[in-house]
Amino acid sequence: MKRHDIYTLPILIWLSLFFTIPLSITVIMSFMSSTPYGGVTLPFTVGNYVEIMKGRILAILWRTIRISALSTLITLGLSLPVSFFMATSKWKNLLLMATIIPFWTNFIIRIFAWIFLLGNNGMLNNILIQLGIVKNPITFLYNSWAVVVVIVYTYLPYMILPIYSAMEKFDFSMIDAAMDLGATKIRAIFKVMFPSIKGGITAGILFVFIPALGSYAIPELVGGRDSVMLGNLIAWEITTARNWPYATALSNILFVSTALALFLYLKIQGSDGK
Amino acid sequence: MTVIVLIFLYAPIMFLVIFSFNSSVTGANWMGFTLKWYGELFLRSPDIWEGFKNSLIVAVFSSLTATFIGTMAAIGIHWYKPSFRRYINFNIYAPLIIPDILMGVSMLMLFVSMRIRLSLFTIYLAHTTFSLSYVVLVVLARLENFDSSLLEAAMDLGASEFQTVRRVIIPMALPGIIASFLLSFTLSIDDFIITFFVAGPGSTTLPLRIFSMIRFGLSPVVNALSTILVGGAILLTLLGRKFLKYILAGEG
Amino acid sequence: MDKDGAVYSVELENVTKIFDESTVAMKNVSLKVKKGEFFSILGPSGCGKTTTLRIIGGFETPNEGTVRIDGRRVNNLPPNRRPVNMVFQNYALFPHLSVFENIAFPLRLKKMTESEIREKVEYMVELVKLKGQERKFPRQLSGGQKQRVALARALVNEPRVLLLDEPLSSLDAKLRQYMLMELDRIHDEVGITFIYVTHDQAEAMSVSDEIAVMNNGVIEQVGTPPEIYESPANTFVAGFIGETNFFVGKVVDVSSEYLKVETRFGILTCYKDKEAKIGDTVEFMIRPEKVYVTKNYPPQNMNFLRGKVDQLIYLGSHTKYYIMVENTLIRSIKQHTRYWMDESTISWDDEVYVWWNPDDSYLIKVTGG
Repeated sequence: MKRHDIYTLPILIWLSLFFTIPLSITVIMSFMSSTPYGGVTLPFTVGNYVEIMKGRILAILWRTIRISALSTLITLGLSLPVSFFMATSKWKNLLLMATIIPFWTNFIIRIFAWIFLLGNNGMLNNILIQLGIVKNPITFLYNSWAVVVVIVYTYLPYMILPIYSAMEKFDFSMIDAAMDLGATKIRAIFKVMFPSIKGGITAGILFVFIPALGSYAIPELVGGRDSVMLGNLIAWEITTARNWPYATALSNILFVSTALALFLYLKIQGSDGK
Repeated sequence: MTVIVLIFLYAPIMFLVIFSFNSSVTGANWMGFTLKWYGELFLRSPDIWEGFKNSLIVAVFSSLTATFIGTMAAIGIHWYKPSFRRYINFNIYAPLIIPDILMGVSMLMLFVSMRIRLSLFTIYLAHTTFSLSYVVLVVLARLENFDSSLLEAAMDLGASEFQTVRRVIIPMALPGIIASFLLSFTLSIDDFIITFFVAGPGSTTLPLRIFSMIRFGLSPVVNALSTILVGGAILLTLLGRKFLKYILAGEG
Repeated sequence: MDKDGAVYSVELENVTKIFDESTVAMKNVSLKVKKGEFFSILGPSGCGKTTTLRIIGGFETPNEGTVRIDGRRVNNLPPNRRPVNMVFQNYALFPHLSVFENIAFPLRLKKMTESEIREKVEYMVELVKLKGQERKFPRQLSGGQKQRVALARALVNEPRVLLLDEPLSSLDAKLRQYMLMELDRIHDEVGITFIYVTHDQAEAMSVSDEIAVMNNGVIEQVGTPPEIYESPANTFVAGFIGETNFFVGKVVDVSSEYLKVETRFGILTCYKDKEAKIGDTVEFMIRPEKVYVTKNYPPQNMNFLRGKVDQLIYLGSHTKYYIMVENTLIRSIKQHTRYWMDESTISWDDEVYVWWNPDDSYLIKVTGG
């Protein structure tokens, strides 16, 4: 230890106690067995993982990845043109604020807004019934599509902000230069701008994809039977079944999926030297 | 495109806000202007206020703790090349990139194995933990502008290390420190999933309370509450405008 | 007190500084800086001059050797307890403090009264000519003004020694010249020792009482500017300070004052600054301003070369000639008089004579043969 390590000592202790150790406990516990009253017991076993591998869990894992990937793609598709417009706009600060406000708005409230809008007793159904277009409310929510829409809605600012930050630093005269040298505008954007905003894009993808993988509240509130995600399963095992070894094994599978996504990210980042 | 996205972002919230002034009980049918849901919220919703109070307590203490520890760490990392640099980095970056639910589960497992009773205190521990990484990154983003010659200058002019921290480093880093406090405060107030796992009976925070309310269906009181929270978000955005660039730099 | 009675402000004795167990920044450096001197440490980047300054300031600790300030050993004294202050290369002004507060910073640390602080800061502001700028913040100042604030802040503590680390390097040429004169004036006014680190030989030459030339962590020579320019200790110093023409050859004849040296240009005569005997290999130099270029046959009928004008650069006050002689460029500088325009008939590609007075050459090195 050096004398100046005093500055980093508190964080070292805090994060060891409340991050590294808890993660380790989670890993250890996943190799233990549960007792009938919600406790855990030795000996070590891989039973939890075997159980997961042969159950319907694989289907849920696959669905979790599918929903997360789709939401991320849609978010990216919306964010690219919006960030571009923002970065080149005269009112960029105003637009930035406009994307920050929903970002600061309570997460659960943002989900609630959709229930209010599209729920069975929601605004849209009420309007449709009053106009006599339908007799009984249409179930817009409680399916995978609703989950995707709400994930896109809640995480959109997480994608826009890093991409916007990267684009804002980009020197747009380089596009003019590329066009001056004979590139079409589309080509100029792809060849000149994309490489320099790649960092922002990958950051945005991570900021959306990883929390989406761990979704719990969104599928819980706007999803249905066909859209149970890994997060719901983990929460159910913990709060209702109280089977901690099984729940931690599920968490570790989520962890591995995340690590895998991250590994791919680092590989992409590494491949262009940054 | 941008307009469509902005409508997409704002329309749901706008409807929430508009219908918080609607006198219909079913909520989704306009029956005339009223403030009765606000009356209901302010006068007859002790559960919501209890949750609000809990959220506030946790947010204040966790963001103060995180800002203090995180700022110290950022100073150490930026200027003093600490030992265990890789391990520290892992602990700072990993919480940012693993899903929150994992942090919630693992913290719960810690408390369970240590037989720590779930309470506001465990929520405080959890919130401080996830805020720390953001604080370090935001303060580091601010410190990036300053090289070691400023510390050397302070020492050269007679300042002790403590005086250098108090008279030079803290004032210079202040915008970043304030930004990180604002960010941790908001993250704490906003957090649902981690709190969901580490909250115990009697320590329900506002997001948990709203969650259980909307599970039971629509309630105009939640609309009224939403309006107030959206107002808070706007206020925070305006207040935090000056510090935004550090927050963005820390996140991006 | 030294043997000869002079008091040294800063003394380094056999100081060695090694970074990362491999990079040797200073090798056995010994220096003595007299009280009140304007002392420069001059050398190319990476030569160890900044490390030397930082060792005096206390920012680095030497691996070996002794550092003394005013005769007191300070090896283990941290910067905040040394009677020296530093002007940093990038000024290192505190961005959150005004000009006044930047200068007052060390005084506030000493818990001086408000009126004392005011008095001292005002004196400093006067000294560095910053009147009226006291309430501005560093970001509102020009480079030159920042420089003045840094100077005032370093001087307000009344240090025994002021250390300056390439303080003018980020200013443009004209401002640099002016600030250099200002530095000289301030040095005269405060009367303390200045140690000035630079890579710019013109800067060092113009203001220093003494210069130490450093290279590769070693002090090559310490001397007054004329000593360093006229009698460099070795080829490195000769080449680093100003432009010069080098010649190498074997001594073929020795007289009481001159040597005749067989060089690849033929036999040249040089002044015998050092003892040499026939057969020795010698290296000597001649500075460009002492080299004549004429179309006419040189009057001295010896010690001349024939060549072709390769480059000719008119610089207002003087003209630089580069004459190609046997695939080597010989440099010459001619100062202009008002008749120069009429006299000058030399132009590109002209065949010319290059010559100099043997008394003007300097014998750098003799290797026994």
